[in-house]
Amino acid sequence: MSMNQRILVHLILTFEIILGFNPEPTYLVLNHFDRDLPAAEQALIDNFGNSTFEFDPSIHHMFEDIDNHENPAASHMVTIKELGEKYQVNYILFNRIEHIDDRFVLNGLLFNTRSGGLIHRRKIDLKQYLNGQINELNMWVGNTVGKVEKNWEKNRKSILFSDPEEINYEKTPRGAAIRSLAAPGWGQAYSGKKVSAGLWASTESSLSLAAIISFLNYDKAAKSFLKNSKLYDETNDEKEISDYRTAAENDWNDHKKYSQLAIIFTAATGTGWIANSIHAWIVGPKPYTNIYQQWNTK
Amino acid sequence: MKLIHGLFILSLALLFVNSCTIYEKLFDNPVDFEANEERGIGAPTLVFYPKTQILAEDDSALVGSFIVFKEDSTKPFAGVHLQIEFPNALLELDTIKPGLFITDTSNATPLFTYTYDSINTIDIYAYFLDTLKKDLDGTGHLADLVFNPIEVGSDSVFYNLDECEIIDHQDAQIDINGERGAEIVVQ
Repeated sequence: MSMNQRILVHLILTFEIILGFNPEPTYLVLNHFDRDLPAAEQALIDNFGNSTFEFDPSIHHMFEDIDNHENPAASHMVTIKELGEKYQVNYILFNRIEHIDDRFVLNGLLFNTRSGGLIHRRKIDLKQYLNGQINELNMWVGNTVGKVEKNWEKNRKSILFSDPEEINYEKTPRGAAIRSLAAPGWGQAYSGKKVSAGLWASTESSLSLAAIISFLNYDKAAKSFLKNSKLYDETNDEKEISDYRTAAENDWNDHKKYSQLAIIFTAATGTGWIANSIHAWIVGPKPYTNIYQQWNTK
Repeated sequence: MKLIHGLFILSLALLFVNSCTIYEKLFDNPVDFEANEERGIGAPTLVFYPKTQILAEDDSALVGSFIVFKEDSTKPFAGVHLQIEFPNALLELDTIKPGLFITDTSNATPLFTYTYDSINTIDIYAYFLDTLKKDLDGTGHLADLVFNPIEVGSDSVFYNLDECEIIDHQDAQIDINGERGAEIVVQ
């Protein structure tokens, strides 16, 4: 070892003495779970390598009545100190997990064995999610030791509702409008409005049918008019002239009447079609900007 | 789906456009007294049928002469004198045949004659002679005139109303209220 290296080692030791040497914290973990969570202990060991954990699941009864004490933070000071000395740990971490239907409640208490007081407490009531208990345990412990990983937070977010602004809606008013433009009533059906979908579809079908029937009658009358007009022009028989003229005049009146009806029904169909599309857009699926979870009243 | 939708919209548009076509109500048969009345020509009327014909130089033009009566409002008649003028620069007279209207019960025309001045005027005289009735009423066919085209052009065959006459069986004159000529187009 050279002279320079010796000086560097001395400097490092001097700084450590000045700043105070902080050994890794030690914990006595008292887990009390109403269901088996075999991976819980190993998860703490794996995730918090700079801490040392001792586990003793047999001790938990003393903390169940903590809220009945006048001063919960100081309710078990003597016992905590004794346990600290017995297990040679800095902290005692009590974790209790209870399952209620599809939810679970994590009750965490962190005691300092030097003072015997409760220094940190967390109680969370959450809907179960994949590996949720382990994840919440990690987050609780991570919070006490100042190490919370991003993926734990991300996992928890998986049960939360997304930001409405970030939600990609499968159904949109525009989609409804386009569908109704393609086929009247489709957009309303797409939006779950079955009654109005049926009404629009039947109205537009009726109007279209009326327009087509009027047009067919118009076409028939127009062709008959042209035919009778031609026959009228081609004869010099007085009776035939009278008959063809009467027939042609009737045809002309019919073709005019059905033309007007066809125009009215076609215009009504077109207008209704557009109105149907606008209606589909108005009643189309709208994103909710406020999403509330129903409170479990049980 | 888009194709079907497009076709449906196009059909509706075509239906709309086609439905807008209103044909002109044009009744103009010279033998129709209503059509003549609509043009201010009262009955009885001397007319030619057809009112217009287009023919080639090697065709012949058949022009029918008709008397048009208005139903129930014109007196019956027994005889007619028609004076017809035609454009001799365009047409030459070929044949004159009696019409069916003035035939008797034996389908004969006992009194039907005409004169032609060899220029452009034809005078036709016809009298109805029958064993069952004395007069005719209603619209009918008086004569057929056949012309041959001479050159290309167009002109009209018409009645000279000043010389035309209609009489009943008592030789009383019946007023003629109008005439309609026939247009011949030689191409």
